[in-house]
Amino acid sequence: MIRLFLYECRRLLWNRFFLGLGLLLLFCGWQVLNRATIFGVARTAPFSPWSFGDYLSRMLPFLWIGVLLLLSAYVTPQARRTAVLTDAAPMPPWQYAAVRCAAVSAGAGLFLSCCLGEAALFYQLCFGWHDWETLLAPALITLPPPLIFALGAGWRLSRIHPWLTYVWMAAPAVWTIVPLPEPLGLLDGSLFTSLPLALAALDPAVLDPAFSLPGSAWLSQGLMVIAGAGFLLAGSIRSLFSA
Amino acid sequence: MDIQIQNLTMTYPNGKQALRGMTLELGAPSFVGLLGPNGAGKSTLLKLLSAALLPTSGSITIDGIPLSQAEHRLRSRLGYLPQDFGLFDELTAAQFLDYMAALKQLRDPKAAVKNALSAVNLERQARTRIRALSGGQRQRVGIAQALLGDPPLLILDEPTVGLDPEERIHFRNLFSQAAQDRLVLLSTHIIEDVQAVCDRLVVLDQGRILFSGSPAQLIRLAQGHVGVFWEQETAQDRNGIPGHGETKGPELHITARVNTSQGIRCRAVAEQLPPFAQEEEPSLEDAYLYLLSREVTG
Repeated sequence: MIRLFLYECRRLLWNRFFLGLGLLLLFCGWQVLNRATIFGVARTAPFSPWSFGDYLSRMLPFLWIGVLLLLSAYVTPQARRTAVLTDAAPMPPWQYAAVRCAAVSAGAGLFLSCCLGEAALFYQLCFGWHDWETLLAPALITLPPPLIFALGAGWRLSRIHPWLTYVWMAAPAVWTIVPLPEPLGLLDGSLFTSLPLALAALDPAVLDPAFSLPGSAWLSQGLMVIAGAGFLLAGSIRSLFSA
Repeated sequence: MDIQIQNLTMTYPNGKQALRGMTLELGAPSFVGLLGPNGAGKSTLLKLLSAALLPTSGSITIDGIPLSQAEHRLRSRLGYLPQDFGLFDELTAAQFLDYMAALKQLRDPKAAVKNALSAVNLERQARTRIRALSGGQRQRVGIAQALLGDPPLLILDEPTVGLDPEERIHFRNLFSQAAQDRLVLLSTHIIEDVQAVCDRLVVLDQGRILFSGSPAQLIRLAQGHVGVFWEQETAQDRNGIPGHGETKGPELHITARVNTSQGIRCRAVAEQLPPFAQEEEPSLEDAYLYLLSREVTG
């Protein structure tokens, strides 16, 4: 299993395509940090959890597409032609799918690390600020849930038809055009810009209100994790029973 | 390993009926050659035997267990080379085989990869990326992955496509050696590939078995139905030769035309040879063509 995982990582992550995606992500991140985050959002400091959360929300579409591009490596015509050999092997399909899913997750983890590392570097260089543990909560609540959902749903869609993976890549376009309801406000970052203002209105003496989210936002993010994991596990459980 | 096929029928979703009530028994050790024209159902049969497809009706049993319940058992004993396959271009030949060895859950992958590379003469290209290999070398990587771990059942669909004549002979011998203690199923439409090495032939056409038996039995079937003649000597009786006008008299199927200094020498098969044809000892190719022609005219 570990050998296969390392080979899958090598295939997915040790190539010019992945390197290019990583560099593109870093470029976009640097632009966002220097053109938007540096001013801070909703009258909070640039290094406040709110401004950082806004930066992450702006990066989410790039990460979403990046993760699905990694996933799409498994649905190319070449990959499908190789599947006639791999499908004839005795390894249970759910195990093989888990290995591949782990490789894509490793890639997603690397992309995520790039975004977080870049922000940390930016805060250090521009403001000499390094109180990074205060940013942990927005980082964990903003990015992993939608990325798990993107991966899980993308995985299932790719099983239905390969081109649905590419359609799924366009999902972020929907929330950049259509205003989302408050529980989904972490996707388009609207919660990070509206909530501090609302909290400041309650207590005008506080400059940077502490990071907190409404229960509906926690619930929607939790549901995304459950749905994403469910999509990933559903196929595995089905193949377990059919084996 | 014993495989029993009972009344196997396969109809694709587009309505194409690839197999029609096929019944066959296969047991190790044996080298079975599957012969048939394009679209005869050879690849479909091999896909069904490797559990890559589910039959529309009928059953396949492996050592007495229905294939649906013995899929894992089959896959852990199977070396499969499909007609059309892809490889991971970004890996080297050795890495790809190591990957397949991990997927096949082999106990000693290093030795298995080494043996497979040596069997297909790819030791020198072991560290070459697959994208840099030629078509024939890629085919050899495909054969090598089928041979990994010496599986007791080898299913090879057109394995010698893209190989040069010398390599084809090498692989023919390799498969023949492998068949000494296991079941090897080889599908091809190249008669030479099966002529010298298969102990059993199964001829398919339009999803049905036309013949199942030894090569000698197939040749015997064509005895008295193969003849040669000079094309110019039969000018007055040309109407009897298909492709030269209306068919009158016995139907001849010309299998070879050879230009010689004395004219064109024709070799043909027919249910009943015409008087101008001189009877010849049939080859396996003649017998195969006779069998197919009999099906067409019958």
